[in-house]
Amino acid sequence: MALTRDDVRGIASYARIALTEDELDEMCTYLNAAIELLAPIRAYDLTDVEPTFYPMGELANVMAADEPDEYGCMLGVEEALKNAASTRGRAFRVPSILGFKEGDG
Amino acid sequence: MMYGLDHLGAVQIARGVAKGDFSAVEVAEASLEVIEAKDGDVCAFLQVCAELALKTARETDARRAAGKNVGPLAGVPFAIKDNMHLVGTRTTCASRMLEHYESTFTATCVRRMIDAGATPMGKTNMDEFAFGSTTESSAFCKTRNPWDVERVPGGSSGGSAAAVAAGEVPLALGSDTGGSIRQPACFCGVVGMKPTYGAVSRYGVVAFGSSLDQVGPFGRSVSDVALAMNALVAGGKDPLDATSRDVETNYLAGLDDSVEGMRVGIMGSLMTHQSLSPEVMLGLKDACSVLEDQGARLVEIELPHIDSAIAAYYVIGPCEAFSNLARFDGVRFGYREPGHATLAEQTAWSRAHGFGAEAKRRQLLGAYLLASGVYDKYYYPAQQVRTLITADYQAAFDRCDAIILPCAPTTAWRFGEVSDPARMYASDLFTISSNIAGNGSISVPVGLGRDTGMPVAAQLQGPTFQDQKMLRLARALERGVHEAGLMKAAAIAPAFVGRGR
Repeated sequence: MALTRDDVRGIASYARIALTEDELDEMCTYLNAAIELLAPIRAYDLTDVEPTFYPMGELANVMAADEPDEYGCMLGVEEALKNAASTRGRAFRVPSILGFKEGDG
Repeated sequence: MMYGLDHLGAVQIARGVAKGDFSAVEVAEASLEVIEAKDGDVCAFLQVCAELALKTARETDARRAAGKNVGPLAGVPFAIKDNMHLVGTRTTCASRMLEHYESTFTATCVRRMIDAGATPMGKTNMDEFAFGSTTESSAFCKTRNPWDVERVPGGSSGGSAAAVAAGEVPLALGSDTGGSIRQPACFCGVVGMKPTYGAVSRYGVVAFGSSLDQVGPFGRSVSDVALAMNALVAGGKDPLDATSRDVETNYLAGLDDSVEGMRVGIMGSLMTHQSLSPEVMLGLKDACSVLEDQGARLVEIELPHIDSAIAAYYVIGPCEAFSNLARFDGVRFGYREPGHATLAEQTAWSRAHGFGAEAKRRQLLGAYLLASGVYDKYYYPAQQVRTLITADYQAAFDRCDAIILPCAPTTAWRFGEVSDPARMYASDLFTISSNIAGNGSISVPVGLGRDTGMPVAAQLQGPTFQDQKMLRLARALERGVHEAGLMKAAAIAPAFVGRGR
């Protein structure tokens, strides 16, 4: 079943990518063509086939002591903030999260 | 310097600097001059870091003067794909999103090259966030193929491949998620290697598909690539990348040994695949004869599920990309669109205007495929198909030491000639499976196409963590190609020979 404009609008909203009406049309065409390309995935009998999420077998989470800078690569505050578009003191600055009032310029 | 940079590979430069025939600063200056003379026509570089290059070269020379070890890559200029961090440079991923991003740390792969004595010359152009096969999706400039500037260099590491092919640098780093080192190497007539997943640390490389990405070198010869690999794995497992493995080894050892009796797997249906152009098919035939002349034995193999590799890739890749690129929200770094009242709105418009078309396409595809109800239809089965493809390879490698495959269906095409995303994706057919299975692979030039005059390459794939054996076969192929007069050794694209120093 092909994706509709409304479906694509929902996906874009979920992905936090704003689309214009024209882009919505293009994206609809693209997604439907791309999904067609994926059909072979559904052509095999995959009963009892284990998935491989990584090409190198089991990976375990990396655990470490709860201490800063174990590997000497922690960023200082200034360094961490230098690529942000807007900062205040030691913090990243963002507009209102809930949308009550514009809190940022 | 007695010889121009055109005539020196990485191996010769490192040897010359170590012996004192010329200094690292002289070599860096020569490379800067060559870049100045050529890059206006190639546009391989987004950023040249002349000061950093000269500073690093001076340090190498000072080490030698003090009688210290200068490292196996002493004074060798190298270029870095612009998705790898290097303090003192921007890391843009060729995207408006990161246009002004200053690297806050240095990627392990770049650090290891510098620790081995190499000189970083600058950051190279790429498809935006590595999404593409032509480097045309860069937000900043169009990189041209040095063999014919009207044609694409391939992608996504097109800038790195073009810089090496034009003789601007003898070595460059790229990253390969579905062919992004091997295909541009093929299009630009240089050697490009994707090591086995885990061999090279990905720390400090902007992630695209975390289970697929692997860093590797470009060079004009197999020995230069092997030399760079030595540096990239030196020090073993990187504690900063949980997927890295200890594979410290000397890839140059036995590189020139005979391949007498080694078995090269060949899959007939791929070598005569309907998508292959006649000149590529001829080139592959030559490559097979050359390997036989070198003493290797061709054996028929099958990879029964390879046809599903593209589909598996275009599920796994976009899903991982969507997840990885979620970090670009315009808050901590990256483009931020002003004038929005809420964080959600600001994020959506920052991403809308920070990302180019293909980056948005891939992320939306990933977002869709990971949605509840869709996940079970595509994402999970794709990972099951990955198990089948990996098992195919394991069975094939029981019968052979490496597999020979095409690298790309055609030689480099003209700008704009392929624009339909689905057709572009289909051209990745021959490279994608080794990202899915994780084994190493390498693209080796085997001649110039009869019809287009553009470079044709063969691809060799080896078993997981047996890249050394694969390199030995690649060297035999290269040697045979030169002996048979199919292509000049370590060739620079003819129009760029002798320009600069």
